Amino acid sequence: MTTILLVEDDKNQRLLYEQELRLEGYEIVTAADGKEGLGKVQEQPPDMIIMDINIPKMNGIETMGMILSKYKNIPIIINTAYSSYKDNFMSWAADAYIVKSSDLTELKNKIKEILTKKAKDLKQRQPH
Amino acid sequence: MNNELSTFNSEKVTNKLRSILSEHKGMVLDESILSKIDVICGNIEAELKKEGIETAMLFKDAEQSKKLKNFEERRQQERRKNDNITDVIGIGLCLLDKELKIIWANKTICNWLDLKESPIGSCCHDIYHCSEVGTKNCPAMNVFQGGSGRIIETWITTKEKRRMCVQHVATPITDERGDINNVLMLTIDATESEKIVHRLLLLQKLGEAMQGTLHLDKLLHLILTCVTSGYAFGFNRAMLFLINKEHDVLNGKLAVGPSSPEEANQIWQDISSKYTSLKDILDELDHSYNIDTPFNTMTKLMVFSLSDGREVVASCVRKKKPIIVKDAANDPRVTEEFRNTLGANQFVCVPLITKDEPKGVIVADNIYTGEPITEDLVNTLTMFAGQAALAIENAETYKRLADKMNQLTETQHKLIRSEKLAIIGSMASHVAHEIRNPLVNIGGFAKSLSRFKFTDQKIKANIDIILDEVKRLEIILNNITDFSKPPIPEKINVQICEIMENTCTLMENYLQERYVNLYKEFEPDIPQVLTDPTQIKQVFLNILMNAVESMPNGGDLTVKITTVNKSIKIDIIDTGKGMTKDALKNIFEPFFTTKPHGTGVGMAVSLKIIEDHGGNINAESEWGKGTTMSLTLPTN
Ligand SMILES: Nc1ncnc2c1ncn2[C@@H]1O[C@H](COP(=O)(O)OP(=O)(O)OP(=O)(O)O)[C@@H](O)[C@H]1O
Ligand SMILES: [Mg+2]
Repeated sequence: MTTILLVEDDKNQRLLYEQELRLEGYEIVTAADGKEGLGKVQEQPPDMIIMDINIPKMNGIETMGMILSKYKNIPIIINTAYSSYKDNFMSWAADAYIVKSSDLTELKNKIKEILTKKAKDLKQRQPH
Repeated sequence: MNNELSTFNSEKVTNKLRSILSEHKGMVLDESILSKIDVICGNIEAELKKEGIETAMLFKDAEQSKKLKNFEERRQQERRKNDNITDVIGIGLCLLDKELKIIWANKTICNWLDLKESPIGSCCHDIYHCSEVGTKNCPAMNVFQGGSGRIIETWITTKEKRRMCVQHVATPITDERGDINNVLMLTIDATESEKIVHRLLLLQKLGEAMQGTLHLDKLLHLILTCVTSGYAFGFNRAMLFLINKEHDVLNGKLAVGPSSPEEANQIWQDISSKYTSLKDILDELDHSYNIDTPFNTMTKLMVFSLSDGREVVASCVRKKKPIIVKDAANDPRVTEEFRNTLGANQFVCVPLITKDEPKGVIVADNIYTGEPITEDLVNTLTMFAGQAALAIENAETYKRLADKMNQLTETQHKLIRSEKLAIIGSMASHVAHEIRNPLVNIGGFAKSLSRFKFTDQKIKANIDIILDEVKRLEIILNNITDFSKPPIPEKINVQICEIMENTCTLMENYLQERYVNLYKEFEPDIPQVLTDPTQIKQVFLNILMNAVESMPNGGDLTVKITTVNKSIKIDIIDTGKGMTKDALKNIFEPFFTTKPHGTGVGMAVSLKIIEDHGGNINAESEWGKGTTMSLTLPTN
């Protein structure tokens, strides 16, 4: 089963994403801040990370940097209320950048898209 | 000084006459008295000459003394011809009884007052057209009561249609017992002295008035009024030309004076009642400087090149000297064109010079009266022109300053507006982001709820309402965040008509729903412009939406695209409810809206985008009629 780590400080939003993404058939692990998120990754690397940028205890971009440096293969989606971070070149390292919306369709589509791509890459690299 | 000068000689004449006449108490106007008066008059003239009146400005120049000689000859002839010598001393005489009835008058006064019938038996105010009758200013009455009486400065038009300034002096005639039975009214021609005195006085006063007039049009009119006012220079007509440095030409600016002899007569009939003092002239100016006469219109159309300079006005400006043309028909300095337009054979051109720099020229003539233009007059006029030029320069400088000021205020307004935008922008974006998170939760949970099956349909409907409202809020948030951080435009060469066409297609259904008829009038061959198509499309959408929203019951929506000068003009015209003046003033203010669900950023964002493209938006609207939004975009 595909595991997704969700780093989000807003409790209700965590709950919302958990519910919604579970319905899509994903296993969801949550973290409330950057530090916790990093711990969860080290515990058990997920197949994908969705994170807000504006999270307490290490901001999102910092956390992202640390994760990327150790786990190069985990795709990251930035899901935030701040469209202005789009211009920050650090955020370019993310696989997708989504402005938060009550309509989760865009997020769901992005997750699918990235997972398919990852699967393809993996297949290509696997020796027969 | 005025009084002293203008009454200088009349006083003497009066005194002499009075002393002699009072020797003849009883006063019967018989031959002997008349011949006596003859002698007196002779004496007076001799006296006047002896006293050297010539030096007292009145008979200053050669021209005048020549006149005096002619005068002398004529006097002698006439004296022989006509027994009534009293006519030749150039004084109007009129004898009144106690009822102010005229018992005798000489020819001079009859001519001057242009009397058709003998005045004998009439009341004095009837022939003098005097309004002082019955007042304490009535000179005759005052004299009968032992006082003195005079009326200074009245303008009359003589039988020969000459405009003349006269003074009336009442002189008592006493009988043997010393009672005053009659009054002799002396009328003295004070035109020349009046003119000179007033000219000087006016020069000074007008100089002051002119330097204080910063409104150029008004100033030009003041200048020409001085040149034409009988009270000042007394020319029949005057025109003023100013140099246009940019095109190196003289432009006709203003002309004052009657356009035809009929008009001239009409004006001069009541000239004395019209301008009686400097104050009147200035007062009159306040509401008449925008005159619309054929002569003025013609002058405003006149343009003369300075570089070819063949025109007499052009050479006057170049030489910086006045030019008197005495016989235009045979004067090589005057071109046929100018002669024909002006129509006068004699005229004068006086340059307007400040700091040795020519500014323009005044042209004046006496086309209707044919009065010769004397050098003396031209000299004074030249002095006056100097002052006028200085005043014109002041007014021009002032105008330039005022224009600069307007520019500055406009820039300042723009600055304030963009500053406001920046502050509102950063505030708005902060608030927007704070709101976005809870909104995502509300909407998200509502959505997840909507997946459940409800037996009560109402629950489902209510959830849909929550979802709709959330969506609306999110759109507002997007608007605000876009607005607070408008992206840098990515400009490419595009066809504005195509963008508009796209936008209209996008709205097609919406328009139909709202019963709005769309009319497109695109000029062919509109050039491409360097713009950000996404941004421009956003602007079109904002404005079209506003237009449709202003027509809740349908209407006509016209979109016109034309080229004007170096710009593309896009007019979006609706037949909607329009705006109040107050609303119109505020539509570009961020967050100004009159709509219950409006955000009020549509027009503010649109203006920002269009200004980023070097263009502008102009809004015109009439409450209850409709609105026209005109966008201009420069083509390069
Ligand atoms: N074509 C029009 N006819 C009448 N009023 C108009 C028109 N265009 C603009 N207005 C007035 O200007 C106001 C501001 O317009 P603007 O587009 O900036 O904001 P809005 O339409 O109220 O809200 P939104 O931000 O959703 O566009 C409107 O509320 C309306 O009062
Ligand atoms: Mg609008």
